[in-house]
Amino acid sequence: MVPLIVLKDVIRDYNGKVRALDRVSLEICPGEWVAVMGASGSGKTTLLNMIAALDQPSSGLLLVDGIDLVSLTEEDRARFRREKVGLIFQQFHLVPYLTALENVMLAQYFHSMADSDEAAQALGLVGLEDRAAHLPSELSGGEQQRVCIARALINEPKIILADEPTGNLDAKNEDVVMGIFQDLHRAGHTLLFVTHDPHIGGQADRIIELNHGRLLPATSHAEGEPPVRALRDIA
Amino acid sequence: MLGRLLLKSLWRQKSRTLLVLLSVGTAATLISAFLSIAFTITERMAQEMRSFGANIILVPKAEPLEVEIAGLKYVAPEEAAYLDEPDLAKIKTIFWRHNIVSFAPFLSRVVQFQGRPVLLVGTWFEREISIPEGKRLFSFAGGSKREVATAKGTFRAGVRSLAPWWQVEGRWLREGEEGILLGSAVARALKVGVGSSIPLSYEGKLALVPVKGIVRTGGSEEDQILADLEFTQKLFSLPGKVDKIQVSALATPDNALAIRANRIKPAKLSPQDYETWYCTPYLGSIIYQLEEALPNAKGKAIRQVSEAEGAFLAKMRLTLVLIAAVALFVASLAVMATMVAAIFERRQEIGLMKALGAERSQVGFLFLLEGSVSGLLGGLLGYGAGMALARFLLARTFSMAGAGVALPLEWVILPCTLLLAVSVALLGAFFPVREAMRLDPVRTLRGIG
Repeated sequence: MVPLIVLKDVIRDYNGKVRALDRVSLEICPGEWVAVMGASGSGKTTLLNMIAALDQPSSGLLLVDGIDLVSLTEEDRARFRREKVGLIFQQFHLVPYLTALENVMLAQYFHSMADSDEAAQALGLVGLEDRAAHLPSELSGGEQQRVCIARALINEPKIILADEPTGNLDAKNEDVVMGIFQDLHRAGHTLLFVTHDPHIGGQADRIIELNHGRLLPATSHAEGEPPVRALRDIA
Repeated sequence: MLGRLLLKSLWRQKSRTLLVLLSVGTAATLISAFLSIAFTITERMAQEMRSFGANIILVPKAEPLEVEIAGLKYVAPEEAAYLDEPDLAKIKTIFWRHNIVSFAPFLSRVVQFQGRPVLLVGTWFEREISIPEGKRLFSFAGGSKREVATAKGTFRAGVRSLAPWWQVEGRWLREGEEGILLGSAVARALKVGVGSSIPLSYEGKLALVPVKGIVRTGGSEEDQILADLEFTQKLFSLPGKVDKIQVSALATPDNALAIRANRIKPAKLSPQDYETWYCTPYLGSIIYQLEEALPNAKGKAIRQVSEAEGAFLAKMRLTLVLIAAVALFVASLAVMATMVAAIFERRQEIGLMKALGAERSQVGFLFLLEGSVSGLLGGLLGYGAGMALARFLLARTFSMAGAGVALPLEWVILPCTLLLAVSVALLGAFFPVREAMRLDPVRTLRGIG
């Protein structure tokens, strides 16, 4: 299968002093659910930002859906984000003065054209059809994260990237949100998670572990799935 | 979606939106008020300034040869030419006689006081004259005729109405009274005060005249001695003669026709243009009519008044423009400060937009649109307030008809005000928005940018 995401010897230096990612190489295939784990400061979020085209490698190769993200201009990277990825944040990042429906429509507006019916359907997928007219402040943490998931799905992205998506949720809401991710995975979405939680990571097809910006050779994978292939291990 | 985003964003930041509206609205108020006043007062100011002095001078057609010695002009008796005092009433019989605000005759000669030369000027201080009764027919080459009847009446002429700002310490001279008013500079130089009598000599004649007052005019009259015309006519042995008449007339500012008439002589105008020109109170047509009434006289526009008027209006316009510019600048700063604060507060929202795929231009457009809408609303509010302010100021300052005054060119002022208001808002928003466009989504979403 042709990998959807390819990283080869990706390095990310900040100010020439801090190396957030150090020669990271890996492949992620379409439909895979990959969890990125590691201690704080290990480079998990940096890796996610690279794949989301929010950040750029200092060196190395980074291909997503055949697009070389290293050579893109800022405007091309914006286009890539709105067309290829759906982002889910730990802090939700919903616009406080827009309703749940309008927050979903915002992603549509930047992508092409806002359509309230489609946005309502997306909210229905995450079980929030009755909460469409509520402001974020009127929603629970779990509901806010579900709005965030609906917003990430609305433009039918190739990849869903989530940074600690259950980090601010209680156990009950965590189960609800993870249930949605499992549904998405079964529907064939490619998911890449950053998480601290081994329980969350354990639900992924495979786990990638970072330590001081380096990909650890020891990785795990879910039952019945192929082992992680880190390119440098293969090379 | 854009509309929802815009309205909800403006509504959510009510206090900031209100601040921008107030800033832009204040500037728009001043701009619309000043534009309105500037349009309205141009003619009004011309009229007001007309009341501050003569704008036409009539002299004999045969101008005498004057010799200037030590700042005083001497005329040889045999060279002198005069106008006749009894003809003065004809000034009020011309077509535009109602535009003649005042006039005063003058007769002046250099006299000696204690061996010093000083200019003695005879004039009317306040004289009620009878206007000749009768009908006058004004016929034009184009065939049209205009008959103007002059009702019997009187008219108050003299320097008191010609130059109402003159101030007299002591008292004014009465009609036919023997006595003098000393110009304040002369009084200082000669160390003479009100109540004393001074000897004046002219070609061997000596007259001892009491000083009735000291006059301050702010002009050359402060270096002169003023007396009643009749007194000077007797002293100079020139009964019924005057050598100059100053006239204050209400005139319409020159337009292309008036300028053409001044250049090519009125007689060369087409009959239709001539009639239009003659029947419009241009300074040139009033002078022309005065010369018709007094065939021996030659009229001139007093440039000092016109230039002073032009300079004053130019300075006033400049002042209005400067105040408006300062208001615009301050409003821009206020908008900028507000936008900087708003963008700082909303940087995570901007980061989110960029993370969702918004391009720099989309983010910039959104914030500039917010600024434009605020500017437009502020402009509309300011326009309404500005029109009210203009009416109030015109009523208070120019005694115009208060709230009922019709302001000219309101349809021009509205778009000008709105354009400036939106420009101010955009100018104020420009630099903060540029910074917003540059925000790094990774840093702002993590709350460190």
